[in-house]
Amino acid sequence: MGKKLTEKQKTGLGKLDNMLDARLETALNSCVHCGLCGTSCQYFLALGDARFIPAHKVDLVASIYRRYHTTVGKIAPKLTGARDFNDETIDEMVDTLFGACTMCGRCIAHCSIGVDIPHVVLACRKMLSEMDMVPKSLMSTVNAALETGNNMAIPTEEFVDTLSWLEEDLQMDLDDDNAKIPVNEPGKKILYTLNPREPKFFPLSISAMAKVFHKAGESWTLSTEMYDVTNYAYYSGNDEHAAIITQRLVDVAVKLGVDTVVLAECGHGSRSHRWEGPNWIKEEYPFRIITTVELLAEYIRDGKIKVDPEKNTMPLTLHDPCNLVRTGGIVDEQRYVLSKTTTNFREMNPYGRESFCCGGGGGNLAMSEYNERRLAIGKLKADQIKATETEVVVTPCHNCVDQLMGLNQEFKIGVEIRTLGEIVADAIVD
Amino acid sequence: MLYFHWILLAAFLLCLLQLGVRVAKIFRAGAPKDYSAPIGDKKKAIGYSFTGAMSPKHKESAYLHLPTYAAGIFYHMGTFFGLLWLIILFTNLILPAIVIQISAIFLFVGAAAGLGILIKRIVAPKMRQLSNADDFISNLLVTGFQAFLGIALLMPQYVPQMMIYTAILFLYLPVGKLRHCAYFFAARLHLGYFFGHRGVWPVKHG
Repeated sequence: MGKKLTEKQKTGLGKLDNMLDARLETALNSCVHCGLCGTSCQYFLALGDARFIPAHKVDLVASIYRRYHTTVGKIAPKLTGARDFNDETIDEMVDTLFGACTMCGRCIAHCSIGVDIPHVVLACRKMLSEMDMVPKSLMSTVNAALETGNNMAIPTEEFVDTLSWLEEDLQMDLDDDNAKIPVNEPGKKILYTLNPREPKFFPLSISAMAKVFHKAGESWTLSTEMYDVTNYAYYSGNDEHAAIITQRLVDVAVKLGVDTVVLAECGHGSRSHRWEGPNWIKEEYPFRIITTVELLAEYIRDGKIKVDPEKNTMPLTLHDPCNLVRTGGIVDEQRYVLSKTTTNFREMNPYGRESFCCGGGGGNLAMSEYNERRLAIGKLKADQIKATETEVVVTPCHNCVDQLMGLNQEFKIGVEIRTLGEIVADAIVD
Repeated sequence: MLYFHWILLAAFLLCLLQLGVRVAKIFRAGAPKDYSAPIGDKKKAIGYSFTGAMSPKHKESAYLHLPTYAAGIFYHMGTFFGLLWLIILFTNLILPAIVIQISAIFLFVGAAAGLGILIKRIVAPKMRQLSNADDFISNLLVTGFQAFLGIALLMPQYVPQMMIYTAILFLYLPVGKLRHCAYFFAARLHLGYFFGHRGVWPVKHG
């Protein structure tokens, strides 16, 4: 059967064998190559390369499945397009399934059959991870999280210092010495998480949420042991690494005795910790876990914070993070929050479940190898933003913030990018 | 029953058996337990997966590609109609000539739609790049079935040849992508379960 397989290739195929459950078997046998999914993928729309049609991405993996798991594929591979698992195929998989797919899931609902395309892409990433073929930059992000506890390798001292001066600023801003940013305090109701980009580059978003918590009279704390809401091991396809990161969050939440973990504004972080995490550690969480978006909506709905939309009168639009909306079902909450805190909100077209990815998802923001491609596919989003003629783009995801800032610069959009928490904090009235 | 009836029946049973083995394999493989706390209604979502989520209004693969989508619908309707006619031919039911003629026209429309899809696959470079031999063979077999059946309805002397041709189609079906006729249902089921667990489906379209 083709050339003799190397040990590395055998490892990859072994991983595929182990993953073949009902869901994956189904996905690998369902695509009919109609090609109609092409127009749902921004890589294909922006770059026009047929390799980026989602059906082609599925076929990269399905062709390997057919070669090694079907009789016809073993005897007459050319009949069904079954491919050898060789270096050429593997290189194409790395380039296409890491470097040309944000796993945004937009193609799923539009597939004429209903193939779970990102699930197949993730399965292939798991194979490649087993073979140590994950792009180096993504792997170093995962390693940073594993080794230091956060993906930006921020030393604890630096983190504590940042929180300390943020707390001083908060007290001055609010003219209230009781305004705190609690750290490692046991017995609180909420454990709040952060995207490490916040303490590193956007500390004001921490202040914004601290202000919201203070005004809501919330019982909350941060943890220096585990505050990172991200889990890039989900994107690198390494379940063992992903489980280590999830377990840390669980351990800290249990140790502090909180009853709710609130996930910071982060699309993939929300998906990883809320939906995938329990499956990585094979345990149900002993606490409630929600996103910041849901919490903010809850505070406003319950009257825990008073907000005035007149505080945010600038024209403003919303970018929906794929993992929050398409695989998390959180679509209305952020719109509810904006309806109560702003006066001039305009939707992009398309929006919500139909929204296009910013281009930074799927770990692409961490994969510098594909920077050029990542910015090129973002043109679609840049054009959507321009069409709204707004001054501010709100997005409940720090990774999206980063990508949108890059697009802002690249395509000269001329907007300000803000998180939902920042908008709410600005709208708070006593 | 004549020899061609037996050949077709044998091929059909063999096809069913192979598809049955594949479906059994899916069930045997099983789905891992989901430990995350569900927030949705999986049953409703599965129902939605087969109904609302399939609506052409909500699928770019339909509303952005209307000619191809329409061709696909006619093609599939032709196939199902053809299968119904096979049963009728097995039962020796005598139907009025007008019904037979309209049926033949319907099958020719289905075959023309299939041919259109095949031509698109051949002509469009991006479709060619996406295709393998099975894509062309599968299309030819099904298109040919509809056309052949239409002819056999109008000229019954060709029924034996048509049934042997159809037997070949049934024998090939589990080999290539035509087996999506079984996996389609599993795919929709999985999507319904997945999105239902997370409260994403059913979507309330405003």
